[in-house]
Amino acid sequence: MEANANNSERKSAAHEPRKTQAELLQLVGFRVGGEEFGINILRVQEIIRSQPLTRVPDSPEFMEGVMNLRGKIIPVIALRKRFGLEIIPADKQNRIVVVEIQRMVLGFIVDAVSEVLSIQADSVEPPPRLSVIGREYVSGVGKLGDRLLILLDADRLFSGLEEGMMGGAVAEA
Amino acid sequence: MSSELSDDRLLVEEFLVESEELLQGMDQDMVALETAPDSADLLNRIFRALHTIKGTSGFLGFEPVVRLGHRAEDLLNALRKGEAQLLRPTIDALLATRDFLGKMLGDIRQGGLQQYELSGLLNELEAALKSRSDPPTLGELLVKQEAISAATLDAVLAEQSASAEPRRLGQMLVEKGLASPLEVGEALVRQKEIAQPRFAVPTMRVEAAKLDDLIDLIGELVLERNRLLQISRSAALGDAAIGELSSSLGESAARLSSITEELQSAGLKTRMVPIETVFRKFPRMVRDVSASLKKEVDLVLLGEDTELDKTMVELIGDPLIHMVRNSLDHAIEMPEVREKAGKPRRGTLRLEARQEGDQIAISIFDDGAGMDPERIGRKAVEKGLVTAERLRALSTREILDFIFLPGFSTVEKTTELSGRGVGMDVVRANLNRLNGAVEIDSHLGKGTTVKLRLPLTLAILPVLLVQVADEIYALPLRSVLETAQTNPKHLHLVEGSEVLCLRGETLPLLRLDQLFPARSDLNAMTSEKSDEVGQSQKVVVLGVAEKRIALLVDSLLGQESTVIKPLGSYLHRCSSLAGATIGGDGRVRLVLDPAGLLKNLQISALSRKATA
Repeated sequence: MEANANNSERKSAAHEPRKTQAELLQLVGFRVGGEEFGINILRVQEIIRSQPLTRVPDSPEFMEGVMNLRGKIIPVIALRKRFGLEIIPADKQNRIVVVEIQRMVLGFIVDAVSEVLSIQADSVEPPPRLSVIGREYVSGVGKLGDRLLILLDADRLFSGLEEGMMGGAVAEA
Repeated sequence: MSSELSDDRLLVEEFLVESEELLQGMDQDMVALETAPDSADLLNRIFRALHTIKGTSGFLGFEPVVRLGHRAEDLLNALRKGEAQLLRPTIDALLATRDFLGKMLGDIRQGGLQQYELSGLLNELEAALKSRSDPPTLGELLVKQEAISAATLDAVLAEQSASAEPRRLGQMLVEKGLASPLEVGEALVRQKEIAQPRFAVPTMRVEAAKLDDLIDLIGELVLERNRLLQISRSAALGDAAIGELSSSLGESAARLSSITEELQSAGLKTRMVPIETVFRKFPRMVRDVSASLKKEVDLVLLGEDTELDKTMVELIGDPLIHMVRNSLDHAIEMPEVREKAGKPRRGTLRLEARQEGDQIAISIFDDGAGMDPERIGRKAVEKGLVTAERLRALSTREILDFIFLPGFSTVEKTTELSGRGVGMDVVRANLNRLNGAVEIDSHLGKGTTVKLRLPLTLAILPVLLVQVADEIYALPLRSVLETAQTNPKHLHLVEGSEVLCLRGETLPLLRLDQLFPARSDLNAMTSEKSDEVGQSQKVVVLGVAEKRIALLVDSLLGQESTVIKPLGSYLHRCSSLAGATIGGDGRVRLVLDPAGLLKNLQISALSRKATA
């Protein structure tokens, strides 16, 4: 809740000066399971190649493990698992997108990162009710020419993390 | 009537002149307060000024001034006591109050007070009063923890306020047996956590010389980097022979490793503070406590400048206080008793800190009555902690160790100070948490020495690295009692739980790969295979307090000093982990927590029993 409020605040603050013109959203585009996603570039700290992870016992299924990011230990989440997609073997295109959410630095694994995209904010529509991958984490769908871009809400993506951990622990106990 | 009025007029005039002066001073003080929120001096001045204005106003019947002044006084009082926090809105409210008082004084001068709408300002002051990050009281927390009932709390609080020398609530509860020291401790920790703003940046003072050392070393590091760059350049140009390159590379690596080692220790040194910060409390405490006990005690402090990690200094305070109290209360005899025993009237209590290798030793020595191993032994048998036969085989040292067991006490009479022998178990538990140890040496009639050993810092942990399937785990070395070879012959099932027979002793066995189920099928297969083949495996015997467990691992990789890093809030639920470290290959290695492992083992054994 609080995080969402923060986020919307931050968004509006970032776009305040350009209110008169059509707002441009800057997104980092990436692919997971054949779909193209975008996440607000302001939330992205860096993008790194995938690297060996250390699995952590009693952690939720979608948590792939922890990794060393220049001496800091950060959790890494497999977006495919989060979305309930089939797990495919890692390949060279895989990237870890590092984001900061609620003062926590986290990474999530995507199939591939495509490019930095700018889309018109008014072209974003609310998520369709039809099944879109990871619908509960989607804040909207944007149009980019004839491509559809699914906008992810980073806060929602990880909001269930702590509850998920508890659930995981209970399930294994 | 008219003369009365003119007398009043005179008084009012005096009041106005005085008050306006005071308000002027208040204005400056309030602004100054904003830059120096901790200044008790400023707060006191503002408070006194306000109090004077309020007092005279009450006398002269300026009721609205009194009302406003009273509420502002409440706020200032809370600020003085540190119960409210001086935040921006607080200053704003105080300044607004001052301005409003000025306006009212002006109105009085103009002929009389008007009708004022004070509620807004009063509410603002009220809000500022509550703007503190109000930590719940210990009692509230205990009730919330369901350690005690609200009724119990009320009763004890009533007693506390009724007593002439109020004592701490936690202490009273423990002495009355209403709450366990553990529960009180938990609540205290919780309270501290709440009281500290979550994202506040903790600061500390660092001796300038330590920072200079750090900077010097960084300078050396830069030089060495330049050297490395040069080596790499000449390697790229191919103008140096391989042999030459490899020898200069070797030299550089050696120097780099010595610099980084020094850098690490210099970095850690910036976190060190003298133990004096803890010792400082004792002269006063010993004086007060011995006076209340009518004992005569000299306190000797040694090695106050011994340095210790900041967190350690913070955590060691309470156990030390506890033990000093114990010594004063139980060990040192009354002056007459001492004279009869041929000792000087005045007892001596000596606190000494010194560095021993990579540990800090703190000893608390008293020349009091000493402990009677026979009595302790008898008590231990009475309490069923040990059989009479077993007792005979124990050394004096081992018998004295009984006092560290929970609930053990040889003192028949409970006293206000150190209660009923609670404590030594808590002291040991606290020290274990700090990776430390406590030992006791006592001679009947001569005195007792309690020696605490602490690592220099919590940040560096010597560990044993073990491999299980494809994962490497680190085990804190202080918990590792031994490592051994084993084969399936030595493994047995008892009540559904696996145990290991090691030289005739039975230890609960834990398979790391079972506790941390391997995710990929590949791992599962390899671990099964090793069972089938029945090849010999390694076990690590871990000691957790008095209990021991055996850990089955694939191989032992050796010892290492590692820098332990927190796992962060998202993993704090995993009780088997103490943290993580980063290995030479850059991968994260998990550091296991032996106490957590034992707990997990007990839980799973229980649940197995329940289902069986």
